[in-house]
Amino acid sequence: MIESIVSTGVAIGCIYALIGITYTVMFSASRVFSFTAGTLGMLGGVLGALFIAHFGLPVAAGLVLVLAAGASFGIVTEIVAVRPVLRSLDQHLYVLSTLALALMVQQFTAIEWGTDARPFPRLFDIDRGGFDQQLWLPMLACIVVIVGLELLYRYTLMGHAFLAIAEDTYAARALGLPERRLRLTSYALAGAIGALAGFAGGEMLLAFFGNAPLLTFYGFIPVALGGMGSNRGAAVAGLLLGLFQQAANFLVGGIFASVAVFTVFILVLLVRPEGLAGASLQRRV
Amino acid sequence: MEMPAAQLQPSRANVLGSACAWSAALPFLALLALGIAFPLFGGGYWGLIATRACVYWVLVSGLNLVVGFAGQIAIGWVALLTLGAYTTSVLTAGNVTPALPPYLALVIAAVIGGVFGLILGLPALRLRTFYFAITTVGFATIVTQVALAWQSVTGGGVGVAGPIFPPPFSSPWGFYYFCFGLAAICTWMTANVAASRFGRALTAIRDAEVAAEASGISKPALLAAVFVFSGAVAAVAGGLFASLQSYITPDAFTLDLSVLFFIAILIGGRGSILGPLLGTILLTVLPEFAAPLVAWSTFLYAALLLVIVLAIPGGIAEILDFKNRRPLESHRAIIPRPELLARLLGSPPDAGALTLEQVALSFGGVQAIDGLDLEIRPGQVHGLIGPNGSGKTTTLNVISGYYAPQRGKVSLNGAALPLFSRHRRAHMRIARTFQTPRIVGAASVLENVMIGGTIDGAATFVESLLSLPRHRRDEAMLHDTAMLALTAVGLERLAPVRADRLQHSELRFTEIARALMLRPAFLLLDEPAAGLSAEEIARLGALLVAIARAGTGVLVVEHHPDLIFDICHRVTVLNLGRTLAAGTPDEIRSHREVVNAYLGG
Amino acid sequence: MWMTRRQMLASASAATIAGGLAKPAIAANEPILIGYLPALTGPSSSTGIGINRGIQLAVQEINAAGGVNGRQLELITRDTQSDPTKAVNGAAELTRGQKVSVVFGPVNSGESLAVVPLLARTNTPQVHPCWVDSLTDPQKYPMCFRNAPTNQQIGGAANRYVLDVLKRKKVAVISDTTGYGTASVNAYVPMLKANDADVVYQGNVDAADPDLKPELLRMQSAGAEAIMPWSVNAGFLSRIINTRGDMGWDVPIVGQTTLGSGQTKALLEKPDYWAKVYPNNFRNVCYAPGGKLSDRTGAFLDRLKSAKIDLGDTLLWWVALGYDSPRMIAEAMKNVGPEPAQIVGFLNKLKGFPGVYGDISFTPEQHNGYPDDEVVMVEANSLKDGAFNLAPGYSA
Repeated sequence: MIESIVSTGVAIGCIYALIGITYTVMFSASRVFSFTAGTLGMLGGVLGALFIAHFGLPVAAGLVLVLAAGASFGIVTEIVAVRPVLRSLDQHLYVLSTLALALMVQQFTAIEWGTDARPFPRLFDIDRGGFDQQLWLPMLACIVVIVGLELLYRYTLMGHAFLAIAEDTYAARALGLPERRLRLTSYALAGAIGALAGFAGGEMLLAFFGNAPLLTFYGFIPVALGGMGSNRGAAVAGLLLGLFQQAANFLVGGIFASVAVFTVFILVLLVRPEGLAGASLQRRV
Repeated sequence: MEMPAAQLQPSRANVLGSACAWSAALPFLALLALGIAFPLFGGGYWGLIATRACVYWVLVSGLNLVVGFAGQIAIGWVALLTLGAYTTSVLTAGNVTPALPPYLALVIAAVIGGVFGLILGLPALRLRTFYFAITTVGFATIVTQVALAWQSVTGGGVGVAGPIFPPPFSSPWGFYYFCFGLAAICTWMTANVAASRFGRALTAIRDAEVAAEASGISKPALLAAVFVFSGAVAAVAGGLFASLQSYITPDAFTLDLSVLFFIAILIGGRGSILGPLLGTILLTVLPEFAAPLVAWSTFLYAALLLVIVLAIPGGIAEILDFKNRRPLESHRAIIPRPELLARLLGSPPDAGALTLEQVALSFGGVQAIDGLDLEIRPGQVHGLIGPNGSGKTTTLNVISGYYAPQRGKVSLNGAALPLFSRHRRAHMRIARTFQTPRIVGAASVLENVMIGGTIDGAATFVESLLSLPRHRRDEAMLHDTAMLALTAVGLERLAPVRADRLQHSELRFTEIARALMLRPAFLLLDEPAAGLSAEEIARLGALLVAIARAGTGVLVVEHHPDLIFDICHRVTVLNLGRTLAAGTPDEIRSHREVVNAYLGG
Repeated sequence: MWMTRRQMLASASAATIAGGLAKPAIAANEPILIGYLPALTGPSSSTGIGINRGIQLAVQEINAAGGVNGRQLELITRDTQSDPTKAVNGAAELTRGQKVSVVFGPVNSGESLAVVPLLARTNTPQVHPCWVDSLTDPQKYPMCFRNAPTNQQIGGAANRYVLDVLKRKKVAVISDTTGYGTASVNAYVPMLKANDADVVYQGNVDAADPDLKPELLRMQSAGAEAIMPWSVNAGFLSRIINTRGDMGWDVPIVGQTTLGSGQTKALLEKPDYWAKVYPNNFRNVCYAPGGKLSDRTGAFLDRLKSAKIDLGDTLLWWVALGYDSPRMIAEAMKNVGPEPAQIVGFLNKLKGFPGVYGDISFTPEQHNGYPDDEVVMVEANSLKDGAFNLAPGYSA
């Protein structure tokens, strides 16, 4: 019983953490939270099922296509929903433009793919039982992404440039960094990460359009609680969330579990609006 | 000769104002007539759709104040519709309490809705935009889950029958008139708020929060009022919805519905009543026109939202804003009338001096101000100059309460000013302008200036809601005072123009007019001459001198030494957070260190 | 006055049928309008899509044979999108706008709960296949008839199978958090207890929960001898079946008909997991102990094949139910006429209308037309051509 709760909790927590990292990478590049992060996760599952189960492509090809699709959607998000509103002084507009884009994609998927959850293919032809691939695939994806991002930020020029943009856009621009291209690349990277989350978690969550609002909400909680801008914070918070959710499911049942998650979320946020690991904001007068 | 013309201006503006008011009311009157006459030409089916549009508008009218005016991204407001629907239904069904008459149930639902509106909305004060949006979505999910789980009360999945209102509202057309009447009342009430100091204060919080604080507007109190109102009408809409559906189950309260309400406001345009009203009607009626469209309706709403946000952020309201399409004069001059200041500012207040003693403040490792002494006396213009980064704006922010000094004292007339209380400064008659003009772009120049006088209004929120006499007196007073202020700074011809059409220099003078609404004992100006032409700088100087002569203590932070030396009685020069020199303009002009560090030549 | 609505459907068969409907009869008589409120899109649309295939075929056949007393039938469709709000809008349009003679549907209970009172107010006869018990009430809604079983009948059959045939006493009842799921659990647990069953587990679980192992482990540790799931969500049901298989736990799963649908089958990890799964179904559309379908049903299947109607992703009984409904309505109109009072009068005396789905009977006091003994349990993995074998131990 305990081991089931822990293993599933960690696995699903890794999916939430990855969506949280998607939010964070987008935020670092643009100071904007995009509603499309959860939709990327949903697309990872749906497109994975489409390419591999429906079209019959091999798993590796399917994965590459899914990552490419995620990156493309990330780029589309930046060009259509983020770049135009960054120019305006009105902070609220980005919430609306990314919300609109996310809704459009979700509805399109619901109509074309169907509103039922459809099966996600088994990626490796190994027997079930014990520590199944449903469980370790999301964990593997999470580790790969976190380690990969660390290496990127620490050892590559592009990674340093990302950090510079995140730290201080004006200074970065003054240094001559190509801000727009970097932002575009960040969004593409975030898109790929989000799609990977959905792909790795596909067997557990199934290829279902309703995963979009689910991941939008549960993927944001690690960001809010772990402190924005912190990938590690998002990862830890994601794992804790997954464990908490599975434990709550078990202890109080389905309906009250979501009430429990939400209540804890809002209470923590009210006490510490900047998250458990974040820094307070400076005013700009 | 000058005076009579100036006196003529306000009353002419009043006549124009009432002509404007009639043309603004025309669309509403047309809709009212259409709605009353509807049964004559609409069949029973369209009657149902019209009733539904009325019910939705009851909710959206309240939500409009939250989303359109206050700018809060409350996406999950369907939670309150659900709450109101279930409360009304359960109370009339009599399975928990003895069966209550439907009207009473509706009133109780409104009260509960108000309370929960407040609970749902309060996180907005602590959380940032996106976070708040997500929490409202979470709330909507929670309420539906509770409705499902609490089977003994709500009937769980099987639901509960909706209330039936007694005759004459029990027939379809009777019920239509009931909902239409409530919709009309909500339109009237929210239009009253929109045209009140509360409505303007909300837009200030939305678009120029810093300026709102400086004008004394208390965000928590105002948001609380709006959330309570919005929650209450949403719950009433819920009761009507339950009656329209005859039977409610949790699956009728989808997030799609919430998104519809939200998008109706955005499509209609923020800060407008007519726009969201038309938006709601549009979004309710649209799916009924083409069956294949029905499945795609949410997709189309979202696409419409994207187009609006990218292309016409002002929505339908912007499209209908014919007044602001008329071209402005191309060569406009700002000609202040300093002689009006005596009438505007009244007799000089009895305030003593505003003093800073050995004030110090550092940010992280940077010492922004280090041991600063400053004294601003009423009736004098005091200049504060220095190179970039010398601490000028920081000093201003300390005086106006945005930062608290780590050492030293800031006092008014001997009494220390409370720390971190920037929204109390207005009550102490300390007004300021900003380095970058903080203006509500979507509002008119006149409305922007009226924001400055918000704290002088006496009517409560409820009085404004119901357009009671005290509210009307407030409005007349604020309108006349603002026109006077605009005439004094020389912008009266631009009063009805939308502020984002103005030139930079005109925005600066607008800010001054707004600050003057407070009849300030002290006026703090942050680089008011930046971006002004030489001619305009001269006029600005004359205006500031006249303001001081009327008894106000003026502090001017500036980069233009000529202006400073022309108008100031005393000048303080800052460098690296410390006073480099202080004295009369002549003393400073020849001060060797000042010349070396700053003035050059 | 207003535009006629036609709902164009995705499936190829519907396209050919709709083509047949597009032209009304050349005869001077106006067509008879039948209002139709399916959920063809949205989260609960599988039933509606299945029923739709049958209804379109039936209307086409009736019209091809000359219609009803020379008048063609015209089906006016308003997709409710699984939303009670749109269902009410649609019902208003059908009755007050289009002025239909009779309404079939909605097919989802949540929508019907809102629509039944409205149709009663407009004096429109209604036939619907929804299961929630309170949806018929001859006193309150004298013009509303149900040509499908009630929740009581469905649950009763399943409970009887578990207790009397499989002889299990310790039962775990589980459903999702939808309206249908919670209502079912609420209805069936007391019925079980009244029959001396020991309900060792009772729960509502979020259908999106990816891991049902804790739930099944709890059932197992409570000593459950049978699992009874009540949900129309194929993802949820498949997770229960898969988890049971992964655990290697040998208990029967007895419950909702969707346990046997093609969608559920597609989501199974292993085909043999489908063993010992016994969903509800209906005698007429199942293989009798000899392995044969009744003549009526066999002929129906042939007609479906020639009309190229696909059964792989749906259930035969949905299609059959859809097929029977307009035929029953047409029968009424043929005999007495299309006026509301006439139709209601005829239905109130209907005895054993020979539908493919079942034999429907009504009386003025009983508007639930489906006979108790035609609700049966079947073996899920015997699925062939949309029909099943009866579950083992079932007497004929």
